[in-house]
Amino acid sequence: MSHERTTTGTGLAASPCAGCQHHVGNLVKLGVNMERFDYVVALAGNPNTGKSTVFNSITGLRQHTGNWPGKTVARAEGGFALGDRRFKLVDLPGTYSLLSTTVDEEIARNFILFARPDVTVVVVDASHLERNLNLALQVLEITDRAVVCLNLVDEARRHGREIDHRRLARDLGVPVVPTVARSRKGIDELLETIAGVATGEIVCRPHRLERRSRGVQQVVEGLSTEIAAAFPGLSNVRWLALRLLDGDTYIEEALRSGELVELAGNGVPVAQGTALQVLERAHELRWEIGPDFQDSLTEDLYAEAARLADRSTAIDGKRRAFDLDRAIDNLVTSRRFGLPLMIAVLTAVFWLTVTGANYPSGLLASVLIDRAQPLLHHLATAIHTPAWLAGFLIDGVYLATAWVVSVMLPPMAIFFPLFTLLEDFGYLARVSFNLDGMFKRAGAHGKQALTMSMGFGCNAAGVVATRIIDSPRERLIAIITNNFALCNGRWPTQILIATIFIGALAPARIAGLVSAGAVVAVALLGITMTFGVSWLLSRTILRGEPSSFSLELPPYRPPRFWHTLYTSIIDRTLIVLWRAVVFAAPAGAVIWLSGNVHVAGSSVAEHLIHLLNPVGILIGLNGVIMLAYVVAIPANEIVIPTVLMLTAMTAGAAGAGAGVMFEFESAADVRNLLAAGGWTVLTGINIMLFSLLHNPCSTTIYTIYRETRSRKWTTVATVLPLALGFAVCFLVAQVWRLLAG
Amino acid sequence: MNSPLVNLIVFVLGGALAALVFWPGRGLFARGRRNRRLANRVALEDALKHVYNHEVREDACTLSSVAGALGVSSTRAVTLVDRMQRGGLLRLVDGRLLLTDDGRRYALEVVRAHRLWERYLADETGVDPVEWHERAEKEEHALSAEAANALAARLGHPRFDPHGDPIPTADGAVGAEPGVPLAELAPGQHGVLTHLEDEPPVVFAQLVAMGLYVGMEVRMDARSEQRIVFDADGRKIVLAPILASNVSVRRLQEPVVTPDEMATLAVLKPGESADVVRVSPACRGLERRRLMDLGIVAGTRVMYERPGLTGGLCAYRVRDTLIALREEQASMIGVTNIHRAGSPDRAGHKREPAQS
Repeated sequence: MSHERTTTGTGLAASPCAGCQHHVGNLVKLGVNMERFDYVVALAGNPNTGKSTVFNSITGLRQHTGNWPGKTVARAEGGFALGDRRFKLVDLPGTYSLLSTTVDEEIARNFILFARPDVTVVVVDASHLERNLNLALQVLEITDRAVVCLNLVDEARRHGREIDHRRLARDLGVPVVPTVARSRKGIDELLETIAGVATGEIVCRPHRLERRSRGVQQVVEGLSTEIAAAFPGLSNVRWLALRLLDGDTYIEEALRSGELVELAGNGVPVAQGTALQVLERAHELRWEIGPDFQDSLTEDLYAEAARLADRSTAIDGKRRAFDLDRAIDNLVTSRRFGLPLMIAVLTAVFWLTVTGANYPSGLLASVLIDRAQPLLHHLATAIHTPAWLAGFLIDGVYLATAWVVSVMLPPMAIFFPLFTLLEDFGYLARVSFNLDGMFKRAGAHGKQALTMSMGFGCNAAGVVATRIIDSPRERLIAIITNNFALCNGRWPTQILIATIFIGALAPARIAGLVSAGAVVAVALLGITMTFGVSWLLSRTILRGEPSSFSLELPPYRPPRFWHTLYTSIIDRTLIVLWRAVVFAAPAGAVIWLSGNVHVAGSSVAEHLIHLLNPVGILIGLNGVIMLAYVVAIPANEIVIPTVLMLTAMTAGAAGAGAGVMFEFESAADVRNLLAAGGWTVLTGINIMLFSLLHNPCSTTIYTIYRETRSRKWTTVATVLPLALGFAVCFLVAQVWRLLAG
Repeated sequence: MNSPLVNLIVFVLGGALAALVFWPGRGLFARGRRNRRLANRVALEDALKHVYNHEVREDACTLSSVAGALGVSSTRAVTLVDRMQRGGLLRLVDGRLLLTDDGRRYALEVVRAHRLWERYLADETGVDPVEWHERAEKEEHALSAEAANALAARLGHPRFDPHGDPIPTADGAVGAEPGVPLAELAPGQHGVLTHLEDEPPVVFAQLVAMGLYVGMEVRMDARSEQRIVFDADGRKIVLAPILASNVSVRRLQEPVVTPDEMATLAVLKPGESADVVRVSPACRGLERRRLMDLGIVAGTRVMYERPGLTGGLCAYRVRDTLIALREEQASMIGVTNIHRAGSPDRAGHKREPAQS
């Protein structure tokens, strides 16, 4: 046994923080607050290993999510208590390795190295042991306090694999706890083991790789000896030597600044010159290790991982691994059924979203707008609020917010969980697999199929979803073109206008079909635009951005229904809704003010409409629509109510009052009002086109900025669709007028 | 309001005008920027580099060759060389231009910036190999010595540029160009490509288009006055001698896997598996690290499990995980020992002739 319990009994040490090693200063720098916690535990693992399931079954609902400081990489942290000790659990990004320079790996690596968690738990998928041990071995090179959580042992058994976890523990030199996180099997034992390692009761002697290619071995040994001599007290000298030889600038800098030495914590100050000497030596030795050094590092790790996995795995030859997966894949990626099945599934999701949202949307609208708004007015009158203030707050701020909530919330609350369920099951990766050929031709990534579909729900969520694309160029393409996916907020506009203007052109019995066809045509135009613009971007301004492709098809797993429902509503729906509300409230105020503040005899809105009218007419729209799109930047949902309000105001028809948005019950009423406002079929067609091709809503623009951290790309993503919209509407208007004489 | 026809015409003309001005690389805007390259410093540095290159090749460099290389009139070349002489960068001996020590140091700085930038473009961006040289030609004048050092540190102090030319160190030391001309390899001999000359660009583009890259393992098949034939990456490549003269090679002992036993993952048929020999050196940077992280390293057995629906993408089983690779990626992965799955057992690596 290379790890053992050094003390027996309950092991309640006098100090709650006995044996803890974490670095509080660096933890704070990495955004982890250690108040009210004794120990910090990091959770590392490959993607698709059930890492988040382990995290959830340990922390339950006591968790919160956010981003790593300054990065657009999601982070979850939570806590648990064992006896009187309180542990903070930090979920590191899922990575295959710690050697590369991707942001995810940098975060995971730096957390383990600089924050020095008291325990690092490596979640390992038992049915993909070899691949997962590659990461585990790398973690063990950095820290000597680790626990391996051998997850999904039930699944491995189903695939005919039995893992001898005791043997694995002996080989790795750290405790190995078999678990089935879904059913909480083994979790209690895992927690006990974590506590044991954190308090120092269980001492780990992690296995570190000895076998390196011959020439390299000598160089590494030489440099290790020098580092050990220069900085006594460092426990991972060999790893440091490898990093320095690999030219890892992060480690060089940490050595130069003295941060690494400070972490060793032996208090002996080291002269600046020593660090520079070591760096100098590393620099010289780098010429002796040959060009394949990086490759050989990975090869050695995988060779060792394969050896250890082989030693501890017993394979039941009778069961063929992944048979069920193959059977499902045969169906969903087959030439005959693959595409129809995909179209059927996605159509079902959209249909469920649209029809399912109708009822709760109506309910919310009747409560928030039909009931609460008059009630608020009564209340305002009762407490003698000045009319202008009541109008501003209730008809402006409140109404816009209520509108956005009632229109946006229900579809998102249905769409996102459905989508997440498909994702967790493993189906969405197959959709990317099936469609990659089409996206590749446009210079994009197959996963853009998913972010685009997500965009049909909400563009802001679609932009966030592009995080799954790990190649910088393809990710930017997906972000910039996401707006061409017709989002939830724009469908109602399309349907209403198509019914009024396009459907009316056809005989009554096929009117419904024709207008539905028109909406689908606009959505398809959006998809065409996505491909066209992706193609253009990848060949012009994004040509030099780095690019790579990787797509893992994870094993199928039954999704966890309630959990998915909970997290997708919290993580996706509420966050997006909150951002929308933050932007909608001031927009409501602006809309109300523009209708009620009068300058030189007419309202500000009328002045603006007058000003915008020539431009609007030129592209086949009008000043009202232009103004509506300017003030409705916060949410596409309020475009039609704003248009109706402004039209009623300028045409002198009956509305809900100046600056008060409203909607009619029947399409006929809308048609009459719009006809009074001078709308023609051309206006209808062009507003449908413009609704597809205009700048993203402010929530999406803000999200794009947060995700790209670049003004340049945010501007491109905002201006490009707007310019396209102007051009397309202009051309349609001119050709229309030319043909109409 | 104008008539629609006039509007349309105005729109089309406006669009054409905008394209004329802003078209990337070819528009007036881009041209204007390029013309500023003729600024004095740039001309001076280009002239220094030109003299340096002649010095390396050990042939004479004259005033007219400077004028020719920079594409300027001889009057301008005279002014330039005069200025450089007075600045202590050049000397004129018997009508031949020679670098002074200061001049050589300066030239090496420019060369270092150029080659480092090429290395950067190759490793960390998605820029096409054909464009490396031209882009570095611009960047070499903008990159200060400090910036070059920082870049070198970030890239892990590379020793060679992606064409195989040595990168001068910060102290001005420059390694020897390794290798001999490709044509010196005797039939049956093995070698590895060490250098692809990047000038003239047309020739380099042709070499890239034929799939050649630095680090490619080759075996000479036949050579004659008319053509040079060699095996590499499981196929036969035929080069005209004029192209071959731009390729250098280092001799190798017989490799573990000879070229005719080697194929790429892309030739596998569904249900076949093979052992990875290596990921081609032409696959660099992010892409290479990603493939290796996924476990595609020498010795890994890979099985081609299913083709994709829309072409190009195929799913492979690698260490029990299903990973989809595009055709270009699969063709970067050298494999050997191709066989139908199920026939050989896990331990016994029965060797069968590879298909190509």
